[in-house]
Amino acid sequence: MVELNGVSYRAGATLILDDVSVRFEPGKLNVVLGPNGAGKSTLLRLATGLVRPTSGEVRYDGEPVAKLAPEPLARRRAVLSQHVELAFALPVGDVVMMGRYPHYGRVPSARDREIVSDALELVGMEHKREQPYPTLSGGERQKVQLARVLAQIWSDDAREHRYLFLDEPTSGLDVHYQLHILQVARGLLSPECTVVAVLHDLNVAFEYGDHFVLLENGRVAVEAGKSSEIPAAVIERVFRVRARRVESADHAGDYWRFDL
Amino acid sequence: MTRRSDRTVYLLLALCLVISLVASASIGAFTFSPATIARYVGESAGWIPDRAADTLGRSVFFQLRLPRVLMGALAGAVLGVSGTLMQGLFRNPIVEPGLAGTSSGAALGAALVFVLGGGALAFHAPAGVVAVPLFAFAGAFGATMLVYKVSSSFGKVNVFTLLLAGIAVNAVCAAGTGFLSYIARDPQARNITFWSLGTFTTADWRGVALVGVCFVTSFIYALGCAKPLNALMLGEDEAAFLGADPQRLIVRLLVVNTVMVAATTAMVGVIAFVGLVIPHVLRMMRSSSYTFLLPASALLGATLMAVVDVVARLVIAPAELPIGIITAVIGAPVFLWILLREQRKGSAGFYG
Repeated sequence: MVELNGVSYRAGATLILDDVSVRFEPGKLNVVLGPNGAGKSTLLRLATGLVRPTSGEVRYDGEPVAKLAPEPLARRRAVLSQHVELAFALPVGDVVMMGRYPHYGRVPSARDREIVSDALELVGMEHKREQPYPTLSGGERQKVQLARVLAQIWSDDAREHRYLFLDEPTSGLDVHYQLHILQVARGLLSPECTVVAVLHDLNVAFEYGDHFVLLENGRVAVEAGKSSEIPAAVIERVFRVRARRVESADHAGDYWRFDL
Repeated sequence: MTRRSDRTVYLLLALCLVISLVASASIGAFTFSPATIARYVGESAGWIPDRAADTLGRSVFFQLRLPRVLMGALAGAVLGVSGTLMQGLFRNPIVEPGLAGTSSGAALGAALVFVLGGGALAFHAPAGVVAVPLFAFAGAFGATMLVYKVSSSFGKVNVFTLLLAGIAVNAVCAAGTGFLSYIARDPQARNITFWSLGTFTTADWRGVALVGVCFVTSFIYALGCAKPLNALMLGEDEAAFLGADPQRLIVRLLVVNTVMVAATTAMVGVIAFVGLVIPHVLRMMRSSSYTFLLPASALLGATLMAVVDVVARLVIAPAELPIGIITAVIGAPVFLWILLREQRKGSAGFYG
């Protein structure tokens, strides 16, 4: 479980996050929503331990993140960002092997190599292992990055708690890659694995998510376990649109239609 | 992934290095055949009886030729590794100590001691032994940090700002060195001019020892940073997510890099473009992984410099060409070619 207790973050004079307290539970796809500038990315940077909050505290299963050393933390916590570019060309396999860096010293073990293969297979990119990363399409690159973060928190001990953060992992990708990446993320869910995703597309988020935190101006506007629990009026206010819930016969949940 | 074949490449590069070192030791105003070299080494090590037949040749070899050959190889290794490190830190293939101000900063620092600190004597007096490299380090570190700070914002290095900052810092340092050579007495001035183009003629064992120690310690430290350097290819945030500490890594490697470049520059002067060409060739040849690039760039840099030194001794024999002229003639076109390639590709990335 990832907990933020009264977390605030100030950059210069602006208060970006204002006393945010949320819990992200394992076994659920936790989704952070909000308009541009609401503080989603900042919340994720704080939750991953990359940046320290101005006040408040982030805890992983009770342990304060600030107390964890970088490498042990990296063995349990991974982050998939959007559009990761590589400054130089490396083969896909080498990029995924970076996920194992916190686990080995100078030379990767046979098990590390196996994990890299398994992670590549899980995202369906095993056949591109030798290909230079920059020659891949945007969607393929994101699959490779997903394989890298999976390899990073791959554990042979099923009881070990792990935390995966996804920062707008599907932005700019076509619908195939969007669904693929979210499905792989859902496949990871277990009582030992907490997944937190920042998502932009509300309909995609409501379809895949289990728990929703909607941010507005650095504060939590609403927290809900089901999309139907979020009042349309709140979505209209936060996103500055007109929103209408559409029931669909063949669809388990609801769709939203938006107008200006 | 391909450890065995990495080793094959290292072996091949090491073989090239040995051949070029022997060639460099043989060829020159005095020619020593490999057999003669073997005899000299055997005699002075006491493996074979010392016939004392050729003491002049032997002392020329040990006092002039050998330190020069080793200094050349060490300088090449330093510049190759430095180019690799700086390209990793700046995440850009056009950086090298000559462009990012490191070399010219070191030259200015050294020239300060050279001219203001009692002239050419400072080079040989005990204080000079420490003062020249120390001032070179201060100048090099200041210049490099300035270029880095100006060109990087929000964890990203802007190529064009980097080039422009490099030009500005290099110009200031060159002006400083130029001013010092202008106010210097004649023999000092001639030395500075020659030395700002790079030269191995003044190489001695003391210099070899200094550069050797600086190189070996810096290189060992850098080798331990190969993994985080690779992770840094993804960006500073991603490297941090992988358990590295990018800020600390960058500062420490810049210090380590400056130590070896400053020591080298203080001894042999400014040699540009080697740090640019070596990693570039290796990246095209094989891989951009720093686990490979760091050792390979040391070997290839040393080899290239040994060859260039032979060329410098031969082209206008009995006179000698400054090393920096040759490396610039080879390196500048390569540099322009890389820039053209980058322009054609847009800013999408290098070596794609």
